[in-house]
Amino acid sequence: MADELTFSDEIANLLHASHGNPLNTCIQCGTCSGTCPSAPFMKHSPRRIIAMINADMKEDVVNSNTYWFCASCFHCTVRCPREIDIAELMYALKRYSMWNQQYQEDLIGPTFSETFVKTIFGSGRSYEPVLATSYLFSFGVPEFIQEAQTATTLMLKGRLPVLPARIKGLKNFRRMLGRIIPIGGLE
Amino acid sequence: MSDPKRLLMIDDDPDFVEGIKAILVAANYSVDVCYNPKDGLKALQTGNYDLLLLDIMMGRGAEGIMIARKMRKDPKLREMPVLIITGIREQMAFLFPGGPAHPRFVEVDELVEKPIKPTLLLEKVSALLKAAEANKTKQDNV
Amino acid sequence: MKKYAYFPGCSLEKMALSYHVSTMETTSRLGVELQELEDWNCCGATAYFHIDELLAYTLSARNLALAEKENLDLVAPCAACYKNSYFTNEYLKEDPDLAEHINFALEEDNLKFSGNISVHHLIEIFVNDIGFEEIKSKVTNPLEGLKVAAYYGCQILRPKKEHLTVEEPVFFEELMKSIGATPIDFAERLRCCSAALIITNRHAALSMVRNILHNAISSGADIIATACPMCQVNLECYQKQVNQEFGTDYSIPVLYFTQLVGLALGISPKQLRIGSELVSTTPALSFAKRGSPNP
Repeated sequence: MADELTFSDEIANLLHASHGNPLNTCIQCGTCSGTCPSAPFMKHSPRRIIAMINADMKEDVVNSNTYWFCASCFHCTVRCPREIDIAELMYALKRYSMWNQQYQEDLIGPTFSETFVKTIFGSGRSYEPVLATSYLFSFGVPEFIQEAQTATTLMLKGRLPVLPARIKGLKNFRRMLGRIIPIGGLE
Repeated sequence: MSDPKRLLMIDDDPDFVEGIKAILVAANYSVDVCYNPKDGLKALQTGNYDLLLLDIMMGRGAEGIMIARKMRKDPKLREMPVLIITGIREQMAFLFPGGPAHPRFVEVDELVEKPIKPTLLLEKVSALLKAAEANKTKQDNV
Repeated sequence: MKKYAYFPGCSLEKMALSYHVSTMETTSRLGVELQELEDWNCCGATAYFHIDELLAYTLSARNLALAEKENLDLVAPCAACYKNSYFTNEYLKEDPDLAEHINFALEEDNLKFSGNISVHHLIEIFVNDIGFEEIKSKVTNPLEGLKVAAYYGCQILRPKKEHLTVEEPVFFEELMKSIGATPIDFAERLRCCSAALIITNRHAALSMVRNILHNAISSGADIIATACPMCQVNLECYQKQVNQEFGTDYSIPVLYFTQLVGLALGISPKQLRIGSELVSTTPALSFAKRGSPNP
């Protein structure tokens, strides 16, 4: 119960139930960054982001694209010699950023996650065409046309749904989720 | 003058905690803080508090709801007044299309939304403590 | 006949319908009954973990509870559905407080999680329950000459599950051998297909897909075999975009392992929904002695 809470402490609190070791056990070996398939596209590699958290560089960490570029492949997690659950850390940073509505502006990740979560709240199952709307706007014209062509081909091959699927017990399903998170409009 | 009332605050936001704690300490309350649900539950079970100030979104998710439910099932903690102070409607705005954020299924005593005005905070805390006291006297007399 | 609760997952309803159909065709011939979970819901993918992990556990717990009601172990063909179901089962079993809270939610649906079933990926059913010997004995059309890149992807193996090795798995290659195909050495077999980054970070995703395609092709593969709908879609449907982005000319078919097993069992390509791909399988499958799709 220290009075001065560091950013590293805040992250530790988000990870209080994690199965991995605390971030301050990191030895900066770089196995995570060497393993991460997204690292070349990140502003800061996973190794560096852990060092930055331990150095209390909150703004730089939260405003980086690093954690939104994590694809959840868990390769870093299984290889970390200190058994830090790095992929879970990326989830924790995403939660922190969603709850505080603070993230780098040009990212699609936050909108996509929100759309996905909302879709499942609404129908119990996911539906690709709705999910697509969260990213199509970010495309230029040629990319958009190509995406539309791929979608059309998939549709013709019977691989894209025309109507969203729904679970039958939707009312109970929504009430169930409402017991975990008190969303409005359930009654 | 009687001993100050002992309050516990479970909230993961250090800046928010700092502000609220200062207001309560200035009003002569004793305030302990836990920044995650796990430490919070431990403190509840070992410490002897008169009131709990509780956040909702912490750690893995809406863990405040889990704590409040657990307290109401615990004979030792059942009577402790709980004031939820949450920013959930703002934090999860995309799931709350303007609807109320009151967790109808958790028997907390009060729920207020962040940010909370100091006068309202002190009012709520004092009213909850008084009600708990009255409740206790009534039970002792039975 | 061994029977399981089958949780197909959202992708298998349409995008990966061929995976679903070929799963049903092959398992029934190999003596396994898959009973689709009544009114299953989405596993939450990764997005739910970005918002609230308790919500993510609740989604998977509902499916687990539905399987428990049937008293059947759960089987998922999708790597993400499998990983989420597997770990929700583990975490709820080890944390009674968490299980109690999630059960409070499940009450709204008259369900209860007890933790008395196990969770498997579909490929484990082929490898462990049916077994290579049994599969070999049923093969009528061995895929001789077909060089397969057996692509594991991520979430079947990772995070580490009690019973599985994360660095040197061989079961997928062994399964391919059991149907007469030749698994090739393929360094990228455990790398990530980019998953949802194909939506949220197109450039990074295409580069990850390119690495896998390049490695498979340069290692001599005729075809890539997958055990996950997300991997299949990313590796197959985006080859055109990869070629445009990087000036390459990759064209390698990507099929589900169940489709290859099905061909070896003598099931017709049509019954396995071979033909719904964007990259034609015809040249690759003409290597196999019979069972190649009609040109």
